[in-house]
Amino acid sequence: MTFLSITRRVFAPKILAVIVPAMAAAAAFATANSGPSPNTGSPQGSIRRLTEAQYRAVIADVFGDDIRVVGRFEPDLRVDGLVAVGTSAVSVTPGGLDQYEELARGIAGQITDDAHRAKLVGCAPGVDDPDGAKCARAFFTRVGLMLYRRPLTPGETQLALATTLASARTLGSFDAGLAAALTGMLTSPDFLFRIDAPSAAGRSVGGYAKAVKLSFLLWNTAPDAQLLAAAGRGELDTQAGLTRQVDRLIASPRFTNGIRAFFSDFLLLDDMETLSKDQLLYPSFTSAVSSALREQTLRTITDLLVTRHGDYRDLFTTRRIAMTRELGPIYTVPVSAQGWTFHEFPEGDPRTGLLTQASLLALHSHPGRTSPTLRGKAIRETLLCEKIPSPPANVNFAVVQDVNNPTLKTTRARLQAHLNDEECASCHRLTDPIGLGLEKFDGAGQFRMTEHDEPIDTSGSFDKLAFRDAASLGELFHDSPAVASCLVSSVWRYATGRSIGSSDQPVVAALDARFRAQGYRVVDLMRSVALEPAFYAEPAMFPAPPKVAASATPRKAS
Amino acid sequence: MKMLPTPATWRRPANFAFAALVLLTASAGLAADSPTGGEPGVRTFVLSNIYLASPQEPGACKTLAAGGWESFLSMLPAEERAKYAAPEKRNALDARMNEYFGFKRIGIFAKDPGGKVAPAKLPADFKRGDPLTAERAKQIGALNGFPKDRGKPAYQNQTVAYNSCTNPEDFPQLEKGYRLYDGTKAVGLNLDGKRGRNDFSSPDGGQGVDNQLWRAIGCVKIFGEQGDRKVAAGTFISGRAPTLIELRGVDDIRNDPDVTVNIYGAADAVTRNGRREAQAWASFRLDPDPTLRATTHGRIVDGVLTTDPVDVHLNYKEQIIDSPRDLRGARIRMVFKSDGSVEGGFYGYYTLASFYESIEQMTLNGANFSGVSCPGVRRAIDRLADGYRDRKTGRFTAISSAMNFFGVPAFIIDGPVASVGMQKPLPARDPS
Repeated sequence: MTFLSITRRVFAPKILAVIVPAMAAAAAFATANSGPSPNTGSPQGSIRRLTEAQYRAVIADVFGDDIRVVGRFEPDLRVDGLVAVGTSAVSVTPGGLDQYEELARGIAGQITDDAHRAKLVGCAPGVDDPDGAKCARAFFTRVGLMLYRRPLTPGETQLALATTLASARTLGSFDAGLAAALTGMLTSPDFLFRIDAPSAAGRSVGGYAKAVKLSFLLWNTAPDAQLLAAAGRGELDTQAGLTRQVDRLIASPRFTNGIRAFFSDFLLLDDMETLSKDQLLYPSFTSAVSSALREQTLRTITDLLVTRHGDYRDLFTTRRIAMTRELGPIYTVPVSAQGWTFHEFPEGDPRTGLLTQASLLALHSHPGRTSPTLRGKAIRETLLCEKIPSPPANVNFAVVQDVNNPTLKTTRARLQAHLNDEECASCHRLTDPIGLGLEKFDGAGQFRMTEHDEPIDTSGSFDKLAFRDAASLGELFHDSPAVASCLVSSVWRYATGRSIGSSDQPVVAALDARFRAQGYRVVDLMRSVALEPAFYAEPAMFPAPPKVAASATPRKAS
Repeated sequence: MKMLPTPATWRRPANFAFAALVLLTASAGLAADSPTGGEPGVRTFVLSNIYLASPQEPGACKTLAAGGWESFLSMLPAEERAKYAAPEKRNALDARMNEYFGFKRIGIFAKDPGGKVAPAKLPADFKRGDPLTAERAKQIGALNGFPKDRGKPAYQNQTVAYNSCTNPEDFPQLEKGYRLYDGTKAVGLNLDGKRGRNDFSSPDGGQGVDNQLWRAIGCVKIFGEQGDRKVAAGTFISGRAPTLIELRGVDDIRNDPDVTVNIYGAADAVTRNGRREAQAWASFRLDPDPTLRATTHGRIVDGVLTTDPVDVHLNYKEQIIDSPRDLRGARIRMVFKSDGSVEGGFYGYYTLASFYESIEQMTLNGANFSGVSCPGVRRAIDRLADGYRDRKTGRFTAISSAMNFFGVPAFIIDGPVASVGMQKPLPARDPS
């Protein structure tokens, strides 16, 4: 029997037992709703698969940064604008299970290798422990708590122990046996999924589930030992105890990771990692630059919103931007610092605010040209939470795509010609004015004055208010109530992993009011969400508990 | 020393290799600047390659100058010549030449891949991993029987060598088969204001071009190849220690009667963009070495900058070469192109000392593969030098030359700078 077959035999039925109901629940959601959003109109608990970033963060937290996570992940799914919502709708395919198993084997192999086992395992079979049972029990008790984000049940501990010893006998090595059992644990649904287990009282999720929700919201990783201990003591069930932990998590430097994770999801910044441009047209836009642009936006956001506890709306008018030497050529600015620094554009500069950051400008452009439509659509959907219909299948883009048209030299002129088709015009009137306001930034986000030697007109209107350029468009966004409201509803969707339902609406409205009253501080908004009882509401439509020994064991009430 | 013309007498119709390019770009608007593209009135360019420009004259150099191997081969008796003539016999020929002339190669710590090196005596304070520098190579050479005070030992990786490039004067036999450039055209300017019988015409028809360096080396294979404009455009020579040209007081980039022109050595490397070209608008710190800085004045007419003569000391750092180029009385002529880049050249007198140093630092292997006869090059330049006569010896100390360049817009920044040493890495970037 091989290492692989041992873990498969022991753990595959378990993961399928959880995944199948989860998939069934997802299917039920999908059936109940015409769209892809898992939304039943009332809060429900969820099973949310860890994202790749979360998986990596948890492994680094539990075992250290030097444990390499090498392999492919099941792709994340964006639902209702957020991967966070998609985590409630995805499962693990058989192929995905293979990938997770490969990842797990690689991790387990490193933990038990000579370089790491002394530190990470910390014990070995000996005179007092001839088969290593005590050592394995100590290891899984300690590590299992961190990986499952709750204490292992006696049955789970026994399963890990039995797997270790059986595998050790088969494979002729205690460490190999330990690695086999750890591999199984890392492919278990209790690790791969965040499961909102209900509390014994039944009104909210249990204490450990609260800790998980809190930690992933504020740190984008699993709870630390202190938070798990607080959960174990029932402290998260009291307002004082919960507040204490929320404030501790927000005060931690790791809170920045949580904010980065939200904005990365909210602004689709992860897509920057695979963004490419036509190198003949935009030679400065390399893959390294694309990654740096993502980092630039996240650093700019966290600097304003976390470090300086700033007003979210100022993100649309700030002239301060994170900068590195690598990005100097994109922005045509000198950069003295060797690492990351901050650059302040002068007053009156067109580079003002989030809308003019090259990350978003490049992300919502074609590989070889700008697209006011894509930019406008993305901004309306992302920052204003509006829905823009997809274009009809038979639309003719010939005029828009003909960038060398001798008479229609600017994108505005080409789009205007396209708008002569009334069927297209209804949506383009929504998207294009905003996008045309950003036309002085090319498809790679670089500033330009002309297009085919024609001056670029960036004037337009947003919400019936006129703007002359990107900077004044940013000012309108700063003052737009819809922009602030969209952020609040997006944070709620991100936190809960579901679309806004009817029962969510009053909660979101209250959060929105508080957000305004508190001066549009995102840190305070996150705190409000983390303290919001509805965030921990009892699962209303929780899938049937997995019918396997470990999961069937009643969990400790919290 | 030859008389240099004054700027007024030199102001004449374009006698310049790419006047056609000027015409092409004269009517084109220059690329729009960023609204925050640096200090007003200041334009800076980083040069991605400074190269000895070839006129690419059809029919010239039908027979290339013989390299070291070819020269040695011609010295051998017919029977032996036949034995080593085939290209696949190059290693054997190389060994025979080393044996014949007593060339030495010292493997410092391990046998080199060829297995032909002698065990080395090393300075007591020299340890494995220490950087091999010119000074170290000299010390090691002295300990291992290299002729004292004769040239500069070549070095690469873990090998130090003494050969005909180390000291070309010692091996005149290897000049055999060397030949001078026989064309009538050369890139450059009329530096002395005269039209002598040895002068060239430029590819665009200019007369009296002074470029005796090209006459000396223009038929050497490697110089001909590297001097080709297309090849040069895709090559970064001394890219890790580039040269910057800064213009100050620019009121109009197409026409300005007086701009200050600063030439600097940079402490940061040129980076490549996605088209494998020099990245525009990158930021560069200045090398603190004051000898790498020079200032002159110039004027821009119809998008072409020309400067007054100035002595310049330009970095030239490659894998094993650290041999700054000293040009006396160099003028810059530079065209501003519609895409914001520049193309131009330094036209002046290349000092023999700095050129010979670059030859001496070549490894013999590299020279042979490149078709360079170091003694041939040395002897030719000695004969053709035409500038800056030494009052004591009566001999010229420099040779007229044309070094073209390509450049893209850049920024000069303040900041802590480490001198760009031969094998000294730049400070690591902040990992944050």
